[in-house]
Amino acid sequence: MEFEAVIGLEIHVELNCATKMFCDCPNRPGDEPNVNTCPTCLWFPGAVPRLSSEALEKASLLCLALGGELQSRSAFDQKVYYYPDLPKGYQLSQAHLPLSRGGGIEVRDEKERIRRLRIHHIHMEEDVAKLVHEMEGRTPISLVDFNRAGAPLVEIVTEPDFRSPHEAMEFLKALRVQVRYAGASECSMENGTMRVDANISIRPAGTTAMNTKVEVKNMNSIRHVGDAIAYEIARQSASVQAGEDVVLHTRLWDPDRKVTLPMRAKFEGPCIPDPVVPLIELSEEWIEEMRARLPEMPAARASRFVEQYGLSGDEAAYLSSDPDLAGFFEALIGHGVAVRSGMHWLTTQLLPAVRDRQLELSNCRVTPERFAALLRMLEKEEINANAAREVLLQLFDGDAPPEEIVASRGFRQISDPTALASMVDKVIEDNPSAVADYRRGESKALGFLIGRVMQSSGGKANPKMIRGLLVKNLESGSRTAGA
Amino acid sequence: MDSVFFYRNSKPAGGEDGALQELKIALQPNVSVTGWPATAGSNALAGFTALQDATVVDRLRRAGASLCGYTVMSEFGFGLGGSSAGEAVRRKIADAELVVDMLGESRLAAARADACGFKPSYGLISRFGIIGLIPSMECPGIVSGNVRQIRGILEAVAGPDELDFSLPDEEPLDFSPQEIDPQKTTLGFVPELVGGLSGQQQNKFMSALEFLKKSGFKVRESRLPDFSRFALVHRIVGSVEASSCAGRYDSVRYGPRAVGAKNWNEMYILSRAIAFGSLVKSYLFQGAFFQFEKYEAYDNACRIRAGLLADMRQLHSEADFLVIPTAPGENLDAVSLEETYRMFDFMAFANVTGQPALYMPSVGGAGIQIVGPRRSDPDLLALGESILHAGRGGN
Ligand SMILES: [Zn+2]
Repeated sequence: MEFEAVIGLEIHVELNCATKMFCDCPNRPGDEPNVNTCPTCLWFPGAVPRLSSEALEKASLLCLALGGELQSRSAFDQKVYYYPDLPKGYQLSQAHLPLSRGGGIEVRDEKERIRRLRIHHIHMEEDVAKLVHEMEGRTPISLVDFNRAGAPLVEIVTEPDFRSPHEAMEFLKALRVQVRYAGASECSMENGTMRVDANISIRPAGTTAMNTKVEVKNMNSIRHVGDAIAYEIARQSASVQAGEDVVLHTRLWDPDRKVTLPMRAKFEGPCIPDPVVPLIELSEEWIEEMRARLPEMPAARASRFVEQYGLSGDEAAYLSSDPDLAGFFEALIGHGVAVRSGMHWLTTQLLPAVRDRQLELSNCRVTPERFAALLRMLEKEEINANAAREVLLQLFDGDAPPEEIVASRGFRQISDPTALASMVDKVIEDNPSAVADYRRGESKALGFLIGRVMQSSGGKANPKMIRGLLVKNLESGSRTAGA
Repeated sequence: MDSVFFYRNSKPAGGEDGALQELKIALQPNVSVTGWPATAGSNALAGFTALQDATVVDRLRRAGASLCGYTVMSEFGFGLGGSSAGEAVRRKIADAELVVDMLGESRLAAARADACGFKPSYGLISRFGIIGLIPSMECPGIVSGNVRQIRGILEAVAGPDELDFSLPDEEPLDFSPQEIDPQKTTLGFVPELVGGLSGQQQNKFMSALEFLKKSGFKVRESRLPDFSRFALVHRIVGSVEASSCAGRYDSVRYGPRAVGAKNWNEMYILSRAIAFGSLVKSYLFQGAFFQFEKYEAYDNACRIRAGLLADMRQLHSEADFLVIPTAPGENLDAVSLEETYRMFDFMAFANVTGQPALYMPSVGGAGIQIVGPRRSDPDLLALGESILHAGRGGN
């Protein structure tokens, strides 16, 4: 029998707010354990939670970026369960009245067809503390780090619209781009700012049944999500074909063995309306204000790039896939760099160099301003491409303006015709056999001769002028020889 | 430690000036005062010292009051079992006492102390630093010998607080003294409630109504057949909230941790077993039952609560204020949930609806409560002052 998969995702995104969701503690989970805590997030008696306006704003921007409809009324509930990572004995989450309903993202399926994958709702919730299990001699102990307790999260719950691992991965990539544009989160599965659970069931292809699903957790990259879903579809298909029933349970992805394994599910408690955190009422004006705060989103930016800069669709989509990259590109153009060379140097030289150094475009020393200054010198032929690559490497190591590096390190291109002419003469004199080859019609020889001149100039000669001088000399020389 | 105080403030000096200067106010240990043993009467907080001042404490101090200490309280202030609430006022050791009112505790403590007891409107006083149990029902109440003093204290502590965002976004109330014209004031009473009183209690209540009529008030019947539902709703919603609220006492971050547990589930069970007394335990069990086993009953209770609020608004369209009897049972040290709720039969409704309620010990010879719509606190207190004044004038 042919099976098709029915997949839905639950995606937790940690908002990049300065503070936690209900207190003023810094939202820096990675600090020394338990330094970012206070009577509220440790839930001392007498504490009163206060919803951070930044969390509400960033969550709302995220919802709008994903096409969600912000609800005029939403509220927090208590998800009740007892666990040492939960200071209150419940987690504040929006179970009954979520912040946003609807929304979705368009992706291309395996056959390049556009598929719109729908979002059911998006709600806010607070994160829990982190548990660390250790041995003290032969006694197992559990340590709790409350830095993360109360960190602001949203959970994006999709419709079960996905049919393949490919669609899930494409959805997550597109979601990450949208959320980064909204400025709400880095959305990195590797760093734990995006966590994905997948609900997977199978059914005979072409039917509409909704069968028992299995939840898979613990994927640490978008790749893992795809692998885990693919494994789970195969596992369920095999067991159904063997006549076994699929039972509702939770499984963990084991990235080393590339399998999913059953886990003991955490007890799911009831959800009670929280009597303390006030109802959230959003006015039309406020929602419009948030909408106005959204930047130009990736799809719109890509089509503008095609129109405004004459980029190809693929180039525009690539540049727009990351707000920092797109912003850097536009800043280069703004600083007077030509579109083609800006695009070329940014993607083939700067980006690989940034990645090599494990930096981010947004936090490295090569600012658009400095990079543009370098590229302008290249365009004006004050330096050649070799020199530009050399200077670029030095831009990473200091803050000196590129002009200064070019001047002080002697990178300036030699464009003085007299100086170049004497170099050319010398090379022609020293390489008679290459000259002879050229005159016999072997054009490769010209490249060799240009290389020799470049070498004798210490890489600083203007390659275009050398070529011109060489050709002129060789042509006239051949005429002389033939006379 | 004496029978009234659990903790005495060695430096109770009040402020140099302020509206409450020279007023001695007692607190219960569920109101946080930095450095004081705010144990809320529970072993769950044995040895706990408050880290911050409650907003009410900060405001009382600013108004010049001197805080004389913590009185002995029932566990988490639920009911009055083992509590000395009201005793400091009765013995005139303090001019007033703050008693958190979740079932009617401030009013019943006042009845016991032959004093006035006031539960303000829900949302009027910051709960920051108050160690509560039933968030949607409780509110710091004031026990004092006279209503004017209650008004002064309420004026000092009420109003918006940036540390308590759960307070509704409402205009501060105006507490300046005002005259009540009895001719223009309608007082309603609920005949269904009178029917539930013993013969002697009925007589007393009727004489109170007589007194009010004689003082010139218009008195009329206001029917409320569903009154018994208030206690039921309180019991279900209150216990569910209490169960959530006490979830924090897990011995992970603070509180006594039982030794010998083999894993954290056992640690929870053993620690919570030594943390709570039997009345609170049975209340928490009941709440957990509704949370985990009978959620639909809780859901219904919430809906019925909304209906009761609407009923009360309807009553107040007919009468400016209601006069409600009080009939405290003999056994103030109730040990069971049943007994505790029975004790507060005539009081818990105001916690369900969030209305202000004022207990006065002697109106025409009877202790009664007067009740107004939410946020009618200044008018209700003015009415109380006027009734007491009429009482003195009549003598
Ligand atoms: Zn905190």
